[in-house]
Formats: sequence, structure tokens, C-alpha cells
Amino acid sequence: MKGSTVNLDLRSVSVDTETEVILKDISFKFEPGKIYVLIGRTTSGKTSLMRTIAGLIEPTDGEIHLGEERLDEVPIWDRGIAMVYQQFINYPHRTVLNNVEFPLLRAGVSKADAKAQALAMLEKVGLSEFKDRKPSQLSGGQQQRVAIARALVRNTRVILLDEPLMNLDYKLREQLREEFRTLFKGTADGVTIYATTEPSEALFLGDELLVMHEGRVIQHGKPDFVFENPSSIDVAQIVNDPPMTILDAEIKDGKVNIGNLITFPTPAHLKSEKDGKYKIGTRASEVILGGSESNSEEGTVSLSEVSGSETLLYVKLNVGEVVLQLEGIHDYQIGQAVTISLAPNRIFLFNMDGTLCAAPGN
Amino acid sequence: MANWNVSHSGLDWAGGANWARMFHDVNFWSSLFRLFYFSFITTTLQYILGFTAAMYAWKGFASRRFFRVLWLVPLMTTPSVMAIVWRSIFREDIGAANGLLSKIGIDPIAWSTQIFPATVTITIAEVWQWTPFMFLILLAGLLSLPKEQFLSAEIDGATPWRTFWSITFPLMAPISIGAIIIRLIEASKIFDSIFNLTSAGPGNSTETPAYYLYTRGLREFQISYGATMGLMYLILAILTLTILGQIFARVSKPRGI
Amino acid sequence: MKKILKYSFIFIWSTFVLVPLSWALVTSFKPPAAVNNGATFIPWLQFQPTLDGWKDITGISGYANLFPPLINSATVTFFSTLISLTFGCMAAYGLSRFSYGWKNYKNPDIIFFFISQRIMPPAVLAVPFFILLKTLHLLDTKLGLVLVLTSGLMPIVVWLLVDFFNQLPKEIDEMAMLEGCNPFEAFVRTILPLARPGLTVAGMFAIIFGWNDLFFALVLTFTNVQTLPVAVVALNGTVTPFWTLSASAIFSILPLVGLAFVVERFLSKGGFAGAVR
Repeated sequence: MKGSTVNLDLRSVSVDTETEVILKDISFKFEPGKIYVLIGRTTSGKTSLMRTIAGLIEPTDGEIHLGEERLDEVPIWDRGIAMVYQQFINYPHRTVLNNVEFPLLRAGVSKADAKAQALAMLEKVGLSEFKDRKPSQLSGGQQQRVAIARALVRNTRVILLDEPLMNLDYKLREQLREEFRTLFKGTADGVTIYATTEPSEALFLGDELLVMHEGRVIQHGKPDFVFENPSSIDVAQIVNDPPMTILDAEIKDGKVNIGNLITFPTPAHLKSEKDGKYKIGTRASEVILGGSESNSEEGTVSLSEVSGSETLLYVKLNVGEVVLQLEGIHDYQIGQAVTISLAPNRIFLFNMDGTLCAAPGN
Repeated sequence: MANWNVSHSGLDWAGGANWARMFHDVNFWSSLFRLFYFSFITTTLQYILGFTAAMYAWKGFASRRFFRVLWLVPLMTTPSVMAIVWRSIFREDIGAANGLLSKIGIDPIAWSTQIFPATVTITIAEVWQWTPFMFLILLAGLLSLPKEQFLSAEIDGATPWRTFWSITFPLMAPISIGAIIIRLIEASKIFDSIFNLTSAGPGNSTETPAYYLYTRGLREFQISYGATMGLMYLILAILTLTILGQIFARVSKPRGI
Repeated sequence: MKKILKYSFIFIWSTFVLVPLSWALVTSFKPPAAVNNGATFIPWLQFQPTLDGWKDITGISGYANLFPPLINSATVTFFSTLISLTFGCMAAYGLSRFSYGWKNYKNPDIIFFFISQRIMPPAVLAVPFFILLKTLHLLDTKLGLVLVLTSGLMPIVVWLLVDFFNQLPKEIDEMAMLEGCNPFEAFVRTILPLARPGLTVAGMFAIIFGWNDLFFALVLTFTNVQTLPVAVVALNGTVTPFWTLSASAIFSILPLVGLAFVVERFLSKGGFAGAVR
């Protein structure tokens, strides 16, 4: 069974309640066979957008088309959309095999075929040996694989994945992320939409990236393009983890001046900008520890945390707080004095209203 | 508020007469007071005993499943039928209670003709009947508690007594409140055991509103007066439960009823 | 010391639980002399057991026959439990998943309204029910009693089940709908099977409260539909000897005592986990 390959077309979809705006005027055309990654902070509307497509939320305005079909007028149970939740949602009273068979049987597939297809899908996600267990007897990662098998087995026209790796530990996340890519590329012919808060997942999985903020899509494009050319400070902060550090700066007389302490000659990619006040952004991984007298400043460590194989250092400077990402595990005391400098050729420049002025490029 | 006589249908408007009568009806108010006593004492006893039994039946000794069954049995029995059994136990001349007391050299007690012993018999019957209800709900609650916290308490070397007060009891607070409120509601309707055990006697010393309403309304067919008292009673009951619910909520922040 | 406390509690409490039951059981086999001449406790030693009491209540001696009331009780309890579970679980599901309301009155108020039906003493409700059933010509019928009992059992069922449904993730219903079930199918095919522990608990309480009801049966039925508690209380009202009364008491509580075993098995299997909260 091939999933029919049609576009999913959102036309100025809005959702609001009496008190707040959930989704604001979203228009986008999703093409089949591609993985679209929605990235945004926790309440940015990613989940709401997915639930609206699935039919669990009714849009207050706008239209949703799937091929020739007007999707928002079809009841949930006839939409033929699969969804994987952040929580590991399976039917607890059915075995793993019955869980995967269920959507096929509901779709009218014969018993024998459903079983064969479900078994093949379980093979793909590596759960064949657990087919007779109940979901509660599996680990979190395995439970989520069952949920994904259930979503993929029908080969629906649209698959929605709402932060499926969120509740798993770090190691398992990396491993499943790898599996997903091959799994989706090989199995899902329809539109795949994947929501996450993690830039690394977005870069790894996405064919196309949609950055969501306060109920809107504020930028979309190829993931690495968006990563290198964030259209605004909001995007820059969302697609970087830890969020990009933003500092006030001034360009004057061929020099970039940050808080009167860090000063360096205007780098090549900023040469064409006019003198004036700006905001500059720098990635945590591109901040430099130590440095020469002119472009550095001494500050104190306000927080140091180890994340995986990296150490994050939050340093308080006169101009603001800078986040620093160091390879390896280091031991810093809170209050310890460190010297920080910036890499001039890696600076992002934003106008005072937050829009991108210049990016360092690749 | 109307005056409705069963023998001839049609309504006679009686105005506030029923209300005035109720406010001066000593029997009604003393029955209410008695109800406070009965529901408070019996519910407290049921809660303490039920919790103790649930703690022991929760874990610890080998044959606990047998005792779980045994301790649940009273819940399954019919209160009105058990009241008859209790009456036969507290019969002064040929009952088991006085029979046993005389064996250990205590003079027979006039269970049904003195006020205090009559109150005791009803309290015993109610505690026997409904402690298993508390026991069941609390045991179910204990069995569904998360194990992690107890494990860490054990590692910290907390004494069982400390573990109980700092972990078990707070975790059981919401379910306790639910159980207590249900029991208070059910206890406020106490009727079957009084009907069959003391018939509100001696005199009307064990009469509760439910019984008094029954006497006035259904036995003497003063239906409108019964309804007036019923309304008053309902108002007081809802008021009391709401206040209790608020107090409980403030003490332990459970989910609302 | 703590051991002593523990085992003495277990011993004293178990004795207390057993006393009235064993007294009734022993008394039911007593001959008249063993009752009327003061309390006796031990069969064979203090008296020669007889079956007279039991013959009196099973129709053998022609005194009374408790089997028809037994069947009445069973029928009435079965149907009122069935009806209250059927409608109660639907109401509870609705209250758990959707929000209803008018102005400031929302689901919790509706649930409180359900419970408040149990606050009224039956004596107050009896008159309206009496008039209602009389108008419908349902006085002294099984159907009438079933309807009245159901109205009393519904609050318990709804109250227990709302809590239970609230603990089942809403995503499961959504999932079922996404996979092609309409809301009713989602409820029947995925929520009901998951709610079995909750339904069992609610059903158990419905059976207990339904079977043990005295008041409504006393007021709303007379001769055609006599339930067991009413029949036993009626025996108590006439000059029935204690051995016969005790036999009738044991007879009427025995059917439900079996339920204690069922409940315990269920409890130990963890079926109550999350069922009562």
C-alpha cells in the first residue's frame, strides 16, 4: 500500500481562544516525502499547529487542504493522519503486535494482511521479539518505538511527531534520532512533520525548517540556511542551544565597540554597515576563553554546568551575560574570574529592532 | 411550606408556620446536635482504626491476605440485619455482651434503657459496619503509592514512625479526605442501625435527624413539616460539608471533591 | 514491644469483626432453652445444636421462606447495578473529557450536584419517590425499586469513575480517534477496557449499597416485592425467636460475603491501583 502523495496546504490558519492567540495566520504548503521540522520554544504553538492539522483543535479561521480535500471539514476519525506524542501513548491493554495492528484493522485491512504488515513494521523498528508483551513491560525508548511503528504502519498521507524524543534520556535520543532518519526516508511517502525544541534534531532530521514563535512561523527554509542566516534575534535564539548571546554594540570609525571594553576593528563581513548602534550575537561555541588585551573583558562565572561531553559556562560581564560552550568537562567555581573574548569574524549583527543585518556566513 | 394532608389532597398554604414550629422544635435541634456527635465520633474512630488496619494489612506479615478478606466482611453485611444481630447481643437478659461480662465478674449493663450504654451500642455497631469502608479505600490508596520515596527513606535510615508521618500520611492526605467526606455524608444519614437497634430510645436519646424526619414525616404523616425540616437539614449539611471541604483543602491542598 | 502492639491489634480487631457474625451463626443453631435461659456460646458443650431456626426461614417448617426475597434482592440489585454502571460510566466519561456548564457552574459543580443527592436522608426523599412511583403505577414493583435504587447508586458510580477516567491520559482517546474510531467507538474500544478496575470498584460499591438498602424497599414496596433486608426486618417486627432471626441474618448476608474474596483478590492483584483516589 502506497500512501497517496499529495500536498498539505495550510491557508491562513488561525486559532484563538477568548483570552489568547494560539496560532496566528499560518500559511504553508507541505510537500510529500519531505521531513518538515517545527522548531520553537515550549509554548510557541508547535503542538497546537499539529493538533489543528490532526483535527483535535478546530481552527477559528483559515482552511486546511490535503490534495483536493478540504481537511478541516473532515472529522478526526476520517482524516487518516497519524500522530506520535511526546508522552509514550500506546493502548496499555493490547499487546505490542495488537497495538500496531489496530490502526490497520480500523482502516479495513484484512486480519492476515494487518498481521503481516504489523510484523514487518515491528521488524523495522527492532521490536519483533517483544511483539507479545504489553507496552508497560517495555522501556521508554521501546514504548516510543511502538508508537512510531503504529504511526508509520498505515503509511498515512500525513505523519505528525510531537517532540517524540523529549522524554528520553540523552543517549537514547541520539540513537533514535539516527534510526528515525532512515526509517522516515524509507517508509513515509506522505508529509512528515516533526516538532522539537532541539536545534541538533532539527539540523539532523529536517529537509525543511519552520521556526515558530508566539503562534507564528517567523522563518522557514533549509535548516542549515536558517541556522547560518537567522532572520531575527528570536530565530537566532531558538535555533541555537544554548541560545545565542545578544549584546549591545556600536560601530564607529571602523571599529566595533561592545560596552566600551571589548573593541576590535570591523571584520570583513561587517565592513559595509553604517556607523551606529546595533545588537550583536555570538554563538556559545564561538566565544573564546582568554584573549588579547583589546578585545577581551574579565568577568565572573555565574553558573557552570556539564551537559553531555560539554561544559556550559555563564559569565557575567559589564555588558551582560555571555554563554560559553567548552569541549570536555571542566571545573569552574561560581564567582571565579575568567577572561572572555569574541571572534570578530563570527559575529552576527542585528538592527536595533531585532532583524538581521549581517551574518558571518560559512 | 405548604400544609399538605395525605387524607385530602390539595394544598393549604401554611405560610411560615412550619418554619416557626421547626425553630422552636427542641427535638429537631437536639437530634441535629446528636448527629454531630455520632458522625464525628464514628468517623474519627473508623478512620483511625481503618488506617491502622490498612497499615498492617499493607505489608509486613505473611497471612495478610487472609486478614484482608476477614476485615472486609463487615462492609458486605446488611446494616439493618446486623443491627438485629447487635440487638440480640446487647439484650440485657439473654444477650452475649452481658453474658460475657458476667463471666468476668462484671454486673450486667442496662444497654437499652440507659442513655450512655445505648449510645455506645450504636457507636460500636457503626464502627463495626463501616471501618472496613475506610480500610478498603485506604488500603487501595496505600497499594498504589509510588515506591521510590519509601526506598529513599529506608536508605536514609528513617524510623518507621518517622516514615509514616513524613511520607505515608501526607501522601495519603487527599484520599483520606475523600474517604472521610464520603463517610461523613453516609454517616449523617444514619438510620438503619438506630431503627433496628434502639428505635431512637431510651426516650429519644439516640434520635438523629434522619430518624426524626422519618417519625414526623412518614409515621405521623406530617409530610410538609417533614419537608421543611428536610430542607433545613439539607442547607445545614451542605454548609457543613462545604466548610469542612475548605478546611481540609487548606490543610493539605488535595484535588477538590 | 512493637510486635506485641501489632499482633494484639490484629488479634483484637479480628475478634471484634468475628464476634457478631459468630454469635449469629451459633445462635442460629440453638434450641429454645439455650437462648432463653441466658447466654450460651459453645455448641455441643453448652447445648445440642438443632436446625429449627434454619427450617423456619427456608420454608421447611412453613413459618417463613426467604428464598423469594433472596431472588427479589438479587434481581433488583443486579439491574440497578447494571443500569447505574451503564449510564454512570457514560456520564463520568463525559464529565471527565468534555466541559459542560452554564455561567460559573462547571464540571466540578455538576459532580458535586451528583454527590449532593446522597446527602439527603432517605426519609426526605421517600415521600417524593412515593408520590412519583404511585403516579407511574410502579409502587411495589421491581422496576420501581430498581429505578429508585439506581438514582441512589448513580452518584457513587459517577463520583468514582470520574476520578478514574481523569487518570487515563486523554491522548489515548485522541489516538483512537486518529486511528479511525468515532468518539463512541473510542470510548467503547479503548477507554472501557482500560477502565475495568474502576468499573469493578464502582460495581462492587453499587452491589453493596444496592443489596443492603432497607429504607426504600421498606417504604416503596409492600408484599409483591419484598427484598431480603425488608423480610428480615419484618421477621424482627413479629415475635420471631432469636434462633430463627439469627438464621435469617446469616442467610441474608452470606451471598455478599463471597464478594469480600473477590475484592481481596482484585486488591492484591493491584487492580485498585489508581481505581480509588
